[in-house]
Amino acid sequence: MDAKMITFGETATDKLLQWLRSSGEPKDIDELLRQYLVILSKLVMEDSE
Amino acid sequence: MTAAPPLEATDQHALADEIFRLMVAQGSLFAFDAPIRQSLANLTTFMAQTHQRDEAAMAAALDAALRDDARFIREQLDDQVIFVTSRQGAYVPRNDADTHSFKQRLHEPDYPLPVDDISVVVSTSRPAITTVEPVFISDYWQIQANEVFAAEDQEAEGHSIMEVAPVALESDVPIEVEVVPELVAEHELLVEPELPAALPEPVVAAEPVQISEPEFVAAPEPEVAPVVAELPTPPVVEPVAVAPPPAPEPEVAPPAPRPLYERAAVFTLPDGMSIDLRRPIDEIIAEHGSLLRQALNEKIEQDPLRRIVSFGSRFFPDANVINLGKNDLRKIRDYITERGEPLLDSELIADVFYHNARQSDYEGWLFSINYRLYREKDFEFVGVEGVNLWSAKGLPAIGGKRIKAAEMGQLTSYLVEGFDDSAEHEDLERIAVEGSMTLTLPFFSWEYGVLPLNASLQALLPKPALVDQRSSVLRFDSPQHYTTTLVEVRYPTGNRGGWLQGLEEFFHEHLVPGAVITLTRGNEPHLFSISYEEAEEREERILTLDEKKNKLGFTNLTYYSTVNPDVVPIQARFGRLNRLKSFPMGERRKAEMLLEHVAEVMGEQIGTREAPRYALSLDDIFTAFNVLRPGTCALMQHLIAQNEQFIADDANPGAFFFTPAINTADDDEDEEDDMQKSDLPLDPQPTRRRYGVRYADDDE
Repeated sequence: MDAKMITFGETATDKLLQWLRSSGEPKDIDELLRQYLVILSKLVMEDSE
Repeated sequence: MTAAPPLEATDQHALADEIFRLMVAQGSLFAFDAPIRQSLANLTTFMAQTHQRDEAAMAAALDAALRDDARFIREQLDDQVIFVTSRQGAYVPRNDADTHSFKQRLHEPDYPLPVDDISVVVSTSRPAITTVEPVFISDYWQIQANEVFAAEDQEAEGHSIMEVAPVALESDVPIEVEVVPELVAEHELLVEPELPAALPEPVVAAEPVQISEPEFVAAPEPEVAPVVAELPTPPVVEPVAVAPPPAPEPEVAPPAPRPLYERAAVFTLPDGMSIDLRRPIDEIIAEHGSLLRQALNEKIEQDPLRRIVSFGSRFFPDANVINLGKNDLRKIRDYITERGEPLLDSELIADVFYHNARQSDYEGWLFSINYRLYREKDFEFVGVEGVNLWSAKGLPAIGGKRIKAAEMGQLTSYLVEGFDDSAEHEDLERIAVEGSMTLTLPFFSWEYGVLPLNASLQALLPKPALVDQRSSVLRFDSPQHYTTTLVEVRYPTGNRGGWLQGLEEFFHEHLVPGAVITLTRGNEPHLFSISYEEAEEREERILTLDEKKNKLGFTNLTYYSTVNPDVVPIQARFGRLNRLKSFPMGERRKAEMLLEHVAEVMGEQIGTREAPRYALSLDDIFTAFNVLRPGTCALMQHLIAQNEQFIADDANPGAFFFTPAINTADDDEDEEDDMQKSDLPLDPQPTRRRYGVRYADDDE
């Protein structure tokens, strides 16, 4: 995915939600942000490989 | 051996029945219409032994009996006679011709509907290219899958040479098929003499060739084992689709890796900040963490579907939030009311819902109960970060109702107006680090049990956990008296200051105005201790308020604590304090008016009766002012500087002259009263919260 297409807080939030659900417990904003950046980073990197 | 009597012709039918039962029993696990084959030789051997008959005669009898029976089909295979039957009787080969498929019926219906417009049936527009959205798979499974694939690859490399061996067989190698002389039923799918034709095509490999998918037309099963071959038995290979002929191919070199990050890896936030996703996550968070947190938080809140909900700094999927009904909320409220004090969320879960921390969904319960109560108007969050305390409508107010919250907010408004001189910046840092502070109790604080929430106290106490949190409840332990006091912290809102309330009983029981107390943080964020330095017993005539008469007076009080002698309102030094008028609390917010009243009462008359003039010091003003309402020296100095009736005594620093305005008539008082009455209804009301609206309390 081209990073220029990313809208922070909207792109790939479904994956973030999926991760949050699978974890089964509440997360604080730091963990949420870290995971979201990981998801965005994977999106960009995987597509460029 | 005694020869058995010859078979009669009438026995042929019985013989055929017996053979049929025998073969059906043999193929009892076959499908109903599956062929059950058996050779005449096998049948003869078995029946001859069973009936003690000559094999030649039995063979002839069997052949005659089965040949004429409709349930059997006689097949001649080379020199061998085979009879075929099935569990349903005569074997009928299956007809797999597709004559009634859904596809056919769909496109060639028996009664087609009239088609007026061909576009109804055939679309002339090109269908949109569907994109396959990647499905999120947990890292755990991805790692597992990679490990499995890596292991398979290694195995495939290891077996590649072994797999070449059977391929290298020559096709003209005779394979002897030996029929086991036992009663064996062979399924149609079993490899029969056609097996050689189904073997992989012979390829002589000059060099090891990696063949991942050997060519197999039929699906040989492990039953290949009975086939005796003189050459090594080809390994059983999983049936796969037909692969291209395994011609000798040079080893395919892996494709050259494409350069990474061909596409842009930099995205831009709405405020123009660019963030490069190639950088390590830790670096990004360290540099832009606060901005990203805020942006992510806002986006989650703006989500119209509210898929992720939050309480404080915790986030949880809305679908996972445990639903609490009205009955559950009523039970919670009743329990809090019964206990008589705000309760922790963990207490509510344990005592009301009997849920313990060992259960896997405990964290979800904690979040759910906090999230749910936060949205209810009958509950109010009074916790701090890390300690979720809940108060409910119906609980008695902490600190009593001697002062209304709205009045107290106005009395402490000087703190948010910039007249807080409680500590310097260095002192605040020290208090925050050490977790302890010492302060002197002014008369007002002692009398009403309230402490203005100045900068020093803010440095000591925890910050509100929620953005719109109005108050929190702390527990102050007294190690000297083994008592515990609940203290409510009211946070500043808008132009109103904050304060602590609830210490009235402790102050009156153990301390006097002017006492020096120490507040210290405890082990938990909401636990504190209050202490004072003990001193020898002393008895003084100290200022007190007779609330029934609403008059100030001096009373003999005995105390055992260290005091600040400059602030203790003893009769010997501040004998005029009992002349102060105990204004209604609503009027005490008028600091200028109070200052003039204090100056007239506490000042030394140096003028005449017609032209009064008073001399007084700032310390006297401060002490007397703090009898009526809280205030700081900075506030006093500001009020004095703004008031033209005060003139500084140049000869005596810290001293002032006050010349009151001549009170011409009582009409002025009436006008003032009218003005006060008209002012009161116009007071701005405190902002109500969107959620968790504070229940009707003593604010107004």
